[in-house]
Amino acid sequence: MKGTPRMVDEALAEETRELLARRAARLREQGESSVEEAVHWIAEFPLGEERYALPLESLRAALPLRMVTPVPLSEPAVIGVLRFQGQVLSALSLASLLGGHGWRQDPAVLLVVDRGDGELCALDCEAIPRPTTLSLASVEAARARSEGPVMEVFTQDRQLIHLINPKRLFSVSEAGVRHGR
Amino acid sequence: MAVDPMLQGLVAGFAVEAQEVIQKVTMDLLELEREGLENDALAKIYTRLGRHLHTLKGSASSLGLQDLGDIAHRLEDALAPLKATTQKMPRTVVDILLHGLDLFMLRAQAHADGRGDYLPDPAAALAQLVASAPPPEAASVLPGGAFAHAHTQAQPQAPSLVGAGPSEPGAPSSSDPQGESADSGWRVSARQVTSLMREVERLREVRLRVEERSRELERVSTLLAKQGLLAETAEARTLLSGTGRSLRTDGEETSDIVDALEEGLKAITTRPTRTILEPLQRMVRDLSRQLGKEARLSVVGAEVSLDRRLLEKLQGALVHLLRNAVDHGLEMPAEREKAGKHQEGALTLRVEQQGNLLYLEASDDGRGIDLVAVRRVAEKRGLVTADEMARLNDNQVRDLIFSAGFSTRSDVTDTSGRGVGLDAVRATVESLQGRIEVASTRGQGTRFVLTLPVDLGSSPVLMVRALEQYVGLPMLAVESTQLARADSLRVGKRRAHLEHLGQLLPVVDLGARLGLRASAPPAEGQPMLVVQSGGRRVALVVDAVVGDRDLVIRPLPSEVREVAAWQGAATLSRGELLLILRPDWVVSDSEKTQVSAASRRALVVDDSLTARALHRAMLEAGGFQVHLAASGARALERLAADTYDVVICDLDMEEMDGTELIARLREKKETRTLPVILVSAHDSAQARERGLAAGADGFLSKRECAAGRLLAEVLDVMSRRGSRA
Repeated sequence: MKGTPRMVDEALAEETRELLARRAARLREQGESSVEEAVHWIAEFPLGEERYALPLESLRAALPLRMVTPVPLSEPAVIGVLRFQGQVLSALSLASLLGGHGWRQDPAVLLVVDRGDGELCALDCEAIPRPTTLSLASVEAARARSEGPVMEVFTQDRQLIHLINPKRLFSVSEAGVRHGR
Repeated sequence: MAVDPMLQGLVAGFAVEAQEVIQKVTMDLLELEREGLENDALAKIYTRLGRHLHTLKGSASSLGLQDLGDIAHRLEDALAPLKATTQKMPRTVVDILLHGLDLFMLRAQAHADGRGDYLPDPAAALAQLVASAPPPEAASVLPGGAFAHAHTQAQPQAPSLVGAGPSEPGAPSSSDPQGESADSGWRVSARQVTSLMREVERLREVRLRVEERSRELERVSTLLAKQGLLAETAEARTLLSGTGRSLRTDGEETSDIVDALEEGLKAITTRPTRTILEPLQRMVRDLSRQLGKEARLSVVGAEVSLDRRLLEKLQGALVHLLRNAVDHGLEMPAEREKAGKHQEGALTLRVEQQGNLLYLEASDDGRGIDLVAVRRVAEKRGLVTADEMARLNDNQVRDLIFSAGFSTRSDVTDTSGRGVGLDAVRATVESLQGRIEVASTRGQGTRFVLTLPVDLGSSPVLMVRALEQYVGLPMLAVESTQLARADSLRVGKRRAHLEHLGQLLPVVDLGARLGLRASAPPAEGQPMLVVQSGGRRVALVVDAVVGDRDLVIRPLPSEVREVAAWQGAATLSRGELLLILRPDWVVSDSEKTQVSAASRRALVVDDSLTARALHRAMLEAGGFQVHLAASGARALERLAADTYDVVICDLDMEEMDGTELIARLREKKETRTLPVILVSAHDSAQARERGLAAGADGFLSKRECAAGRLLAEVLDVMSRRGSRA
């Protein structure tokens, strides 16, 4: 008779252990997923042979590249001007802004981007960018290393992404324009 | 003392009304002290004055504002003897009456703000009014309105309301316990209004899209009728044409709504410039009296309505310019007479809006800017070194007057000498994204021209074409259009001139001026426009005159705002943007901006706008002058008219591909040996072979261009061709 209650106790203890183990596993999972949540959303696209990205929060729209009016006598990086939601925006060659030389294919898309100063402009792009994430920690680390408009960030599978900082990009290009005048 | 909120509202309304009436009375008084008015005109002004003063008295008394009623009564008394004899009003009387009006307005505003109980005894004010005229400078105009100064002086007498500050006419005072009453209007932020303007602009785009859909429907109906399926498609065509009609009606209604919204917004956000210009008359009069000078201010274009915020910012700048003109510009009456001028100095303010540009001109017929004095002072104050000064031309020296701390006065007076003024004016203008220029002739006067962008309103624009580029010109700048005729052209070695109404006007080729092609004399029958700006005229050669449009010109974004050629962009019916030229750029000296003819020339042929832009950037960086063509056909046109050192051509274009273009070039003697580089998105041996077999001198994939090979390839190909030749 004595054995039965002991077995019940043991069974209860076993159940309790299992319950606690399940709870611990759940908590571990939560912990892991909360680490995964610390990410930086980006809009990624190819430029020449390399992969570039813009912070997703700076992207306002992706438009087909048409109805752009060329602006004679403007800076070489200026493709033209276009209308977007009642505003006149500049369409700029991202390759030129970044000091590059061209695309693999002719750009077909314009990305409407917040320049970081509240104003919008459009950047050309080969295709509609892919939304994806980077680890926030790697972005922060890259930000600490870089002072320029483009940061080099590695993805988890060790792919290199050039992450553009719109605010720095446009302040640099404007300074260039001013000095060039 | 508790104030009935209803009565308080009436008093506030009365203060606004009184300010308007007083402004009219002020203008009449300034008119009455001038020489040379006919008796009839004098009589009319006296009658009007009497009526206005009586209105002020009656309105004040009906609201129980006895002190104001008494002041108006005294003013009527002062006016009565002169009115009876209909004579020019002596300046002393004008001074008394103006001061009386200041007192009236000061007290009216205090009553409106609920500070009536804190005002001093009216008897003292009345005694002061009658006893002596105040120095004129006490009533000088300050930013914020003719009576801002007086209003500020009254503040210490109302300690319980410190912080209320000067309020907008008609706005409820902050001490109003009821807050904003329902019928007094709303307070809205500039951001809210700007956002509304953007929505109106979006609605305008919707309207354009509706028009475009309507045109598409028409095309579908026409297509159906052409297919020989008339019977089968009859029902569909009836339905489509019904929908088309409804769509057109909707489009028209949307158009009406856009116009009404725009008009409404304009009424809310603008006011006539006269509201800031008329009070300046009083300031000019008082200041010239104070300095012992005589001056008359004429205003042209006072009816132009402008953004209220812009006007508020400009008021201070105009006050500075006019004070400067009276103090520094105008000579004393005796000196003027000696120089053969009228003893009364002429000041002119001219306001003109051309498209989205506002031109504000302040000029005087005084002594002009003494450049010797400017040089001396600038050096003495350390604004420039002697070496720097030696390199400056007259215009640059004149611009030194906008430097911070610059003043030619050696003594500091109430009016000037502190070196604060024109630098502040320039800062204000630049903060509004405008610019200020000065022109001056010694002994004849000085003219300041402020050019500012403005947002609202549509304006007539003439649409023209140069090559494939459509552009607009503000119609106000276009004097006439004509076709080029050999007998009216004088073609010289460097440039051509048009004989026009006895004048020789320089001929400017718009395409060349925009860097789209090399300059050439106009062909027989080519359209030419006589364009004028700031007194200068040119004959502008274009490829086609498309027609006139009434367009809303929007400011350009920051990346292209500094390009001197453009003043803005307007939306056309299909939704594309039309760039609008600045007339002052068109008439400016074009020879300075033309690229040296000695530089190497490249023609980029690509149907991709971005590829053209990129190739242009790379080649310009390599010292090339670059022209662009969007198709093979356009390239052939360019090559027939101009000569190039190299052609960079896309292999795969829709109309005429790169191999076909090369074949056409190799057929002609002039272009048989012209170096051509093909560029292709296809990075295959097959594409390369196809290109080289067609006669290309070089082949690059876009991948190779992206890797920075274009310029090297261009130079290599040119060098190979050169050595073969």
